[in-house]
Amino acid sequence: MSRSTAPPMSGVTRSAASDPRTTSASGLAPVIRVDGVSRWFGSVVAVSDVTFDVSPGITGLLGPNGAGKTTLLRMITGLAAVSSGTITVFGEPVRDNPPLYRRIGVMSEHEAVYGFLTGRDFVRMMGRLRGVEDLDAAVDRAIDFVDLADAQHRPMKTYSRGMRQRMRLAATLVHDPELLILDEPLNGADPRQRVHFQSLLRKLAAEGRTIVISSHILEEVELLADTVLLIVNGKLAASGGFRAIRAALDERPYHVRVVCDAPRELASAVVMLDSVDAVNIDPDGAIVVLSRNVRDLQIELPRLAQAAAIRLRRVEPLDDSLESVFGYLVER
Amino acid sequence: MGAIYLLTLRQLTGRWRLLILTVLAALPVIITALVVRSPEAPSVSDFESFVFSTLLAGSISPLVVLAIAAAAFANEIEDRTLANLTLSPLPRSRIVVPKLLAAITIAGPPVAISALLTGHLAFLGDVRATLAVTASALVGVALYSAAFTWLGLVSSQAIGIGLLYIVLWEGFFSGFVDGVRLLSIRHYSIALMHGLDPRRFAGGHHLGFGVTIALSAIVFCGFVWLSVRRLRRMDVP
Amino acid sequence: MTETQTGRPETAMPRGGTVFDIGYQRYTGPREGRHRGRFAVFKNGVRTALGLGRGGRAKVLPWFFIGVLAAIALIMALIAGAAERLAGPGTAEEIGLPSHSDYYGIVSMIVFVFAAVVAPELLCRDRREGAINLYLVRPLTGSDYIAARWCAFFAVMVAALWLAQSILFTGLVMGDPTPIAYLRENWLDVPRFLLAGIAFAAYATSLAMLTASFTNRRAYASVFLVGLFVISTPFTVGLASEIGGTVGQWISMFNLTNIPVHVNDIIFGEVSKITEGAPAGEFPAWVLVSWYFAWTLVPGGILWLRYRRMTP
Repeated sequence: MSRSTAPPMSGVTRSAASDPRTTSASGLAPVIRVDGVSRWFGSVVAVSDVTFDVSPGITGLLGPNGAGKTTLLRMITGLAAVSSGTITVFGEPVRDNPPLYRRIGVMSEHEAVYGFLTGRDFVRMMGRLRGVEDLDAAVDRAIDFVDLADAQHRPMKTYSRGMRQRMRLAATLVHDPELLILDEPLNGADPRQRVHFQSLLRKLAAEGRTIVISSHILEEVELLADTVLLIVNGKLAASGGFRAIRAALDERPYHVRVVCDAPRELASAVVMLDSVDAVNIDPDGAIVVLSRNVRDLQIELPRLAQAAAIRLRRVEPLDDSLESVFGYLVER
Repeated sequence: MGAIYLLTLRQLTGRWRLLILTVLAALPVIITALVVRSPEAPSVSDFESFVFSTLLAGSISPLVVLAIAAAAFANEIEDRTLANLTLSPLPRSRIVVPKLLAAITIAGPPVAISALLTGHLAFLGDVRATLAVTASALVGVALYSAAFTWLGLVSSQAIGIGLLYIVLWEGFFSGFVDGVRLLSIRHYSIALMHGLDPRRFAGGHHLGFGVTIALSAIVFCGFVWLSVRRLRRMDVP
Repeated sequence: MTETQTGRPETAMPRGGTVFDIGYQRYTGPREGRHRGRFAVFKNGVRTALGLGRGGRAKVLPWFFIGVLAAIALIMALIAGAAERLAGPGTAEEIGLPSHSDYYGIVSMIVFVFAAVVAPELLCRDRREGAINLYLVRPLTGSDYIAARWCAFFAVMVAALWLAQSILFTGLVMGDPTPIAYLRENWLDVPRFLLAGIAFAAYATSLAMLTASFTNRRAYASVFLVGLFVISTPFTVGLASEIGGTVGQWISMFNLTNIPVHVNDIIFGEVSKITEGAPAGEFPAWVLVSWYFAWTLVPGGILWLRYRRMTP
């Protein structure tokens, strides 16, 4: 398919190795094409020169809060304008293109609904607006899919949060869209609902749909997504298969801080371990162990401490947060 | 489109709101009934100036419409439910028009009935005059609705700006600055009233009938067009 | 890392379930009491009313109103000054140009619209978004909250009115060919307009806030309040002149825009232009003042009661 969009505005050429375009297995054109997209609000840059493609399957948009995930999704769904760059969905520009919404289902991060409507009425209205034929059957299907058939005749203001989210998902599905965009759909869901939701999404993906789901929880995306896009500070920090990213994480050492009774003695013992790259001593007497193999360290450290009769008071990983992980990736 | 119309009707009605609307609409009727019965009934032009120009067209009609029409979009934006409507394949005009019509449907009848009864009482059953008053009131409602629907879409301070418009522009300046009358919905209403029944409402300083019709059409279509344009270009929350 | 019950330390690695004492520290400093909370709500109220700290758009309306109030005062001063210069000193009073005593009457509608638009910002938003609960779970009570909010809006209103009147006074003093003489003759105007300003502001604040306390959407509160003023005015004026007599006088008392203006007249000792024809003006002073207090204290009282019983 020939690209009708302009080349990236940043002027930076991307080598093939670091090109974040995902190549879909079947070689078909990608469903969403984001090219050199930026968005700023006055002097605040929310999204900075992001380029990627999305293909069928589940794609996770991952990033800390405030990273720009929602702004990016709003631009992809055409709700917000881009400041520069282009976005095409199914080969067409998405902004100011209402007919495209027949094929897209969007669940925004706002949980607001028309409280006075019953669940069924809400789904029905969404279906009507999107031009669904055979409306009642489609509504029944959507409501059954989210398992809310018995609550559908109650006004939505009486629903619990989880039920509201599920009914909103039904409204998103009623017109059978090929592309689903879900912004933090599992916000506030309890563990049981999470599992249920995840199985729903996997079912949808198995039917050949494209799903883009945003979250700030690593484990969730790990369970669901085939492809992951990591956004940090408005920039695309990493993309690709989740395992590949995890492997990239393993290349850099973990920092573990140990507070104990005899730091230098422990340090000299610990530095002998194979799993340890280096040991630093903090000004306040703690030692910071750099290790690539945390599992081994986990076993060896207490053994060493016991053998040397040193009391370990605190052992804590310093860089297990998402931010620091992304930080490493962004620096590369 | 019908779905949005019905939805907006439900959004904008509420027990208390309808009650206040009815009370407001009843005021001109009550005052007319009392005045007409008193032995020193004022002249037509005094009465017209007071009841129709000031009270009805200048205060009650725009206030009622402001509360309702601005809410048509402003409430959705505030509640963040507008995306439910814009994420559909409908052309934007088929989102704006039903909301506007719903606002007119709710604000129209109270104002129209008020005008009808007031006119009937004031003009002692003169059908043509009564119809003139009612029709011009309805046109006023339609115009105010278009303007305030657009305002609700454009600004989060829609009510403040709308109130300033009503009190300062319509209420104050248009009284003595002639140029302002060209852009004053209240004066369109008045001019229409004069035009529809010139025998009763002869004289007075107002716009020509044909000019008013043209301006009203332009203003109405203009605001609808502006609303559609805004909906297409805005960032929907 | 914590120690397990057997005394063997457990390392806390990624899949562990320990809670780290990394950053949260309890506050051990002095804790100030309710008065600090009240002041905070007051200060926040003033900032919200003026749109401070909330970007450009929020500032437009309140500062526009203040600007209009000041501009009207300035124009009045300029006209008086021009008259004095052109036709000699004392002209302004002779030909009866509007002055301090008339100012509040002239701007009354603007003041009420200002109150209608800004007062709901202070109350409705908090209730609608549930932020009121954040206030109520503190040592602050509902009555503390509403008192602080009332004072905040009152302060803003009084400041705006006093500013405008000060501009008028300064303009009149400077515009007079003999400023010192003018000052000596008219200095009493200053305490008068200060007091009348307080009366006006209290009235507008109480009524506006009471209306705002009845609904969660700012829009409806604003429109209702303006409707109340805009409609009661011609309604009562028309009816009063029709019916006449004592009944007409009492009807005229229900002209809500004039209630504080009558008090203004009493303070200045002369009837202002706005209330010149009002039948209610014929009532003795104590009736008008009591009526004013009724219309200020009763709404205030109802407001107090509504908020006093609020719990998070």
